[in-house]
Amino acid sequence: MLFIVMAVGAFIILEQTLEGQGKAVQFTDEQGFRSPSIPLEEGVFTNTERASEFALLGFENDAGREYQEYYANRAYQGAPPTIPHPVQADGIIGENSCLKCHKNGGYVSDFDAFAPVTPHPQLVSCRQCHVPTNTEGLFKPNNWSEIEGVPIHNRALISSPPTIPHAIAMRENCLSCHSGPSAVKELRVTHPERTNCLQCHAKAEKADVLDNWVRPGSTQPKSENP
Amino acid sequence: MSAAAALIPGILFAQDQTSGSGEKGINWQKTPCRFCGVGCGLLVGTKGGKAIAVKGDPRSTVNKGLCCVKGYHSILALYGKDRLTKPLVRKNGVFVETSMKEALDLVASKLQETIKNHGKDAAAMYGSGQWTIPDGYVASKLFKGVIGTNNVEANARLCMASAVTGFITTFGIDEPMGCYEDIDHANVFVLWGNNMAEMHPVLFSRLLDQKMKRKAKIIDLATRTTRTSKASDKSILFKPQTDLAIANAICYEIVKNGWTNKTFIERHTSFKKGKTNIGYGMEDHFAFKDEETPITFKEYEKFLEAYSPEKVEELTGVSAKDIKYLATLYGDPNKKVMSLWCMGMNQHTRGTWINNLVYNIHLLTGKISTPGNSPFSLTGQPSACGTVREVGTLTHKLPYGVVMKEAAREKAAKIWKVPVENISPKPTYHTVEMFRALDRGDIKFMWVQVTNPMVTMPNLNRYREATRKEGRFLVVSDVYPTPTTDEADVILPSAMWIEREGMYGNSERRTQHFEQLLDPPGEAMSDTWQLIEVAKRMGFEKWFPWDKENHIEEIWKEYSLFHEGPKHGMAPYEVLKKQSGAMWPYYNGKSTQWRFNSKYDPAATEGDFDFYGKEDHKAVIFQRPYEPAPEIPDEEFPFWLNTGRVLEHWHTGSMTRRVKVLHQAVPNSYVEMNPLDAKKMGISNGEKIRLVTKRGEIEIPTSINERGVPPRGQVFVPFFDEGYLINDVTLDAFCPISKQPDYKKCAVRLEKI
Repeated sequence: MLFIVMAVGAFIILEQTLEGQGKAVQFTDEQGFRSPSIPLEEGVFTNTERASEFALLGFENDAGREYQEYYANRAYQGAPPTIPHPVQADGIIGENSCLKCHKNGGYVSDFDAFAPVTPHPQLVSCRQCHVPTNTEGLFKPNNWSEIEGVPIHNRALISSPPTIPHAIAMRENCLSCHSGPSAVKELRVTHPERTNCLQCHAKAEKADVLDNWVRPGSTQPKSENP
Repeated sequence: MSAAAALIPGILFAQDQTSGSGEKGINWQKTPCRFCGVGCGLLVGTKGGKAIAVKGDPRSTVNKGLCCVKGYHSILALYGKDRLTKPLVRKNGVFVETSMKEALDLVASKLQETIKNHGKDAAAMYGSGQWTIPDGYVASKLFKGVIGTNNVEANARLCMASAVTGFITTFGIDEPMGCYEDIDHANVFVLWGNNMAEMHPVLFSRLLDQKMKRKAKIIDLATRTTRTSKASDKSILFKPQTDLAIANAICYEIVKNGWTNKTFIERHTSFKKGKTNIGYGMEDHFAFKDEETPITFKEYEKFLEAYSPEKVEELTGVSAKDIKYLATLYGDPNKKVMSLWCMGMNQHTRGTWINNLVYNIHLLTGKISTPGNSPFSLTGQPSACGTVREVGTLTHKLPYGVVMKEAAREKAAKIWKVPVENISPKPTYHTVEMFRALDRGDIKFMWVQVTNPMVTMPNLNRYREATRKEGRFLVVSDVYPTPTTDEADVILPSAMWIEREGMYGNSERRTQHFEQLLDPPGEAMSDTWQLIEVAKRMGFEKWFPWDKENHIEEIWKEYSLFHEGPKHGMAPYEVLKKQSGAMWPYYNGKSTQWRFNSKYDPAATEGDFDFYGKEDHKAVIFQRPYEPAPEIPDEEFPFWLNTGRVLEHWHTGSMTRRVKVLHQAVPNSYVEMNPLDAKKMGISNGEKIRLVTKRGEIEIPTSINERGVPPRGQVFVPFFDEGYLINDVTLDAFCPISKQPDYKKCAVRLEKI
């Protein structure tokens, strides 16, 4: 359990909002308007037709990856994973190749594993971000090291639903990672059949907007948080 | 936990995220990507003085939150174990570590000595489209304004010069009229020799998105089959160099079928021809000056007769049917068409011509300067536009105008506060000629920043020898050891990208600012500050009076004076700091998306469209013929050799090869062969073969039926790998107008080892 908390905490730190820190600059768009504070939610309900199937699978089962395995092929938390298996054709776009397995997932006997489901099947030039490993060696050594996760709770009360600790751009489709046989065990949701995830799980990324909010016309000075 | 958090369960507040842990949070800051000319907005997360993560900036209208594998892993390139952190000076043939103070003293004294003994033009600065705008500006001011030699050149000559001369000859003013938003409006994308899926991947994803959502069509017109071909609706292969004939054939069809936009042509265009049989610049001291002569529409129509689709079928290898199909796409008044190109058209011994010819198509049909109708010249480097083309770090340019024009010299002298006589009216050496001058001994001192010419110069054998000759002094500022630093007399360690403050300017005229987010390692120093330190040592302090704290802001303010006004106004420093870039002309507080269109462009004041770059306010439709390449495969050298990049590596790989993920994806270079050629020669995939040209030979493993597949009789080699220096065998022929070399075509023999 502690491990799960640590894992989730790592996400939180990483995906902390732009404006979260006092010194961060407030950005405006080309026309001078602030970007909307409601994140894009296109694709939130993608894959929900499979929710009951996932529910039948149950929370406790042996399928899926461990959290450590999940991060083994990522340079940092949030980085696009490398392709851990051999790829046959190099000169292809994903529509007719990668997505055959990674759009809906399923058991692949060659690897004795369930294919992870991509949370962004609309982006078909997969190899733009995901590359295979064709050698084990290095050109020159590098000092890069991944940051350790930091233990933080991401629920306000012991009983309240955890918030979403990561940016949801390109990851709007919650169930692709948080449910189904290929989901990371530690990140698997107990209740995939409740498909309106954002009903209870709020995005932590924009929390500061509320924190700094002052009612229009209010004469009271903005409260300083202790 | 704050009171607000307790009241609203489920919401987590920033302070709470960090307070429990005793750790500081991650500071996310915007920056343009370090690598290509697309100029994606990144958010780099730093913590404890280190960059630890990257995400796409959702506020950037360029990439809307998406990056490519290089962008996502860009920060790893900061941390290679062999980063240059101390200056190295060659003493008796070996590099000796020294202090920055001593190294800069030496550079300044050598520069002074060279000028004293051999004249101003014996000293040269060779920079890059990866220079930040302040780097290029300070180099230009120091050399052109204060020292008084025009010897400031940049590697963008090798990548964008033909695009520039294309713009100047057709429109009289540089850089695209449209912007990336054109992608969201176009019905058809025609890619002219542009493997966008690998070279401009994030923009290509925007094309694919439009293909999926709006059924926009992608046509890949290329000399080999690539990932882009496979993602396109149609792939058309043509024989190298014949794009000139194809473009003319499309114009032939458009004119013949009456698909021209007659009102547009009448009001906004003029017809001209230039010289023909213009040569290839393969000999030293080659000189060429074009002469533009007005012609009539009738004469132009007559010229096109030689280019009917049937007549060019054999030459181009493209069926008359396919050429007619292309013409119908451009000719259909109900279709918005975007043409996109980059090195295929620019690295071309007739690079200026082919740029002119594609503009012809758009001008004949009036499909230009409106959302979705856009001939779009893409850029290779992150600031080829910003630093080289806009600041004018080429040997004939000033930040505003060319050195040959008195008014331009006067303007520069006034802003720089130097006597106007200081600025020489004589353009000096373009890149190839500059290295030839180094070889001949006309140039004795060269300072190279942010580029790796000992991997990228064509006919490299000759120019490597040049740097080694007696009496040459080579200074190289870089972040890692490279084949160029190997040849240096002094190596200066540079601060890289977000280790200093700066600006880049991307393909769509967008200037993007980045803050210093990290400390540079060891004694590493920004290229801007290196130049200022040398200037001070030469006694030129009064022209560079800026503090370390605010010099970038001060430089920006001074530089902006060159571009004031509705044609090229630059956004104020404060605006650049705040938003994810601004597009020039930035005027009255607004970016300009479509130039030459009076609806959008503050400088367009005459009628609906106004090509104000030209004195008569008319864009030029150029009569430019097909002329063959200088070196064509024959019995002795039967294959075409083409070179280029791969998605995973940036240029010569000095940064990306030090990133584990990128190196492990593409660990080495290779030669792509057609499977039938390979079978005939009994060569299997991965087998090493020998490539021989008139200039040299290399041995390199084959890649057969992998990423790209050239047609029979052609091979392709990526140039990123210093272990396989393909430029040892390439040809240093160039476009006589732009002086940009053609890396895409020479004749090669394949030998089984």
